[in-house]
Amino acid sequence: MAGTGSSAKYDSPQIEAMLNKSSRNYVKYILWISIAEFLVILGLNFYYSFIGDDSESFMNILGKLGIENTVDLQADFAHLYFVLKFVSLVLTGVFVVLFYQNYKKINVESNLKKFILQIISFKKTVNIFILANILLLVFFTTVLTVFTFYILSQQHIQLSHPTLIGFIVGTVLMTILSIVLIWLYYRIVYGIIMKRLGKNLDELKKMESAE
Amino acid sequence: MSAKEKEFSQLIKDNQGLIIKVSRLYTNSIEDEQDLFQEIVLQLWRSYDTFKGQSKISTWMYRVALNTAITLFRKKTKSPQTDELQDFHYKDFVEDDEEKQQQISTLYKVIKMLPNVERAIVTMYLDDLPYKDIAENLGITEVNARVKMNRLKKTLKELMEKHG
Repeated sequence: MAGTGSSAKYDSPQIEAMLNKSSRNYVKYILWISIAEFLVILGLNFYYSFIGDDSESFMNILGKLGIENTVDLQADFAHLYFVLKFVSLVLTGVFVVLFYQNYKKINVESNLKKFILQIISFKKTVNIFILANILLLVFFTTVLTVFTFYILSQQHIQLSHPTLIGFIVGTVLMTILSIVLIWLYYRIVYGIIMKRLGKNLDELKKMESAE
Repeated sequence: MSAKEKEFSQLIKDNQGLIIKVSRLYTNSIEDEQDLFQEIVLQLWRSYDTFKGQSKISTWMYRVALNTAITLFRKKTKSPQTDELQDFHYKDFVEDDEEKQQQISTLYKVIKMLPNVERAIVTMYLDDLPYKDIAENLGITEVNARVKMNRLKKTLKELMEKHG
C-alpha cells in the first residue's frame, strides 16, 4: 500500500513526547468508571458495616408501626443485621478479586477476538457485581420486611395500621426506583461502548460461521 | 531520555507508515487521526517490554494498532466523510502521478466504508502480511481470512467502480 514508511510525518522528539502522554483508550475509561463504582459501593458497605448505625432508624420505623422495642427484638435484629453485613462484605471481597484478575487479563497484544472478549469479560464482572448488589438490595429489603411482619405477628399487632401500608408502599417504591436508576445509569454509561465492541465481535463470529 | 526510549522512538520513526495508515483508516478527522497515532505509539511503548521479537515487528505493530483503533475514545463522531477531508488526508501521502493518487484516494475512501474487522483484513493484506499473520492478529483461521479477503476483493472492486 502506498505510503508505508514513505512519509516521515513524526520526528523522534515528537514520538518521544508521546510516551508520556495519558491514554485515551476506552479500556482505561471503563477501568476508571468501574473503580469509581466499586469504591462507592465498597464505601457504602464499609460505612454501614463499621461506622453508620442505621439500626436505630429501623427501630424507629418499627416503633411507628406500634412495635414494642424489647431486648429480644434488639438482639434478633442485631444478629440479622450482622449476617446481612457479612454477606455484603464477602460478596464485595470476591468481586474485588475477580475484577482485578479480569483486568490483568486484558492484553493489547492479544489477537483482536481475544482482546474484545477480554474487555467484555472484564466489564461483565463489574456488571455482575452491580446486578448482585441490586439483588442484595432486594434481598435485604425482603428480609427486613419479613422480619417486620414476623415481629408484628409475634406482638399481635393489627396489619391494618395506616403506617404499615405506608411502610410497604414506601419500601416497594424505593426499591423499584433504585433499580430503575441503576439500570438507566448502565444503559447510558456503557451502552455505546459495549455496543461498538459487540459489533466487532459479531463481525468476527460471522466470518467464522461463513466457512 | 533512556536508551530504551531512544531505541523505541527510532523503531516507531522507521515504521510510522504502518501506524499512520491504521490511524487514517480508522478516523474521520485530522484531530482523531493524530490522537489515534499517539495512542497506538503509547500502547506499543507499554507492550514493548513483552515484545521480544517472537513475531515480526509489522505483525506485532498491526496487532496492537488495530486493537487500539477499535478502542479509542473519540471526542466526537463524524459519520459522513467529505471529499475535502479525503483530499487533505492523502495529498501528502502519495507522491505519484495524479491519476494514481486519485485511485489510491478512492481506495482509501472505499476501505473506510467497510466495517472495522473487514477494514483490518484489507489493510494488512495490502501491506503484504501473510494470511497466517492476518488470521493470527484477528483470532480467526487462515482459511477464513483467505475466503473473506477473496470476497472483499470483489466488494472493493464494486465500490471502486461506484465511487471512483
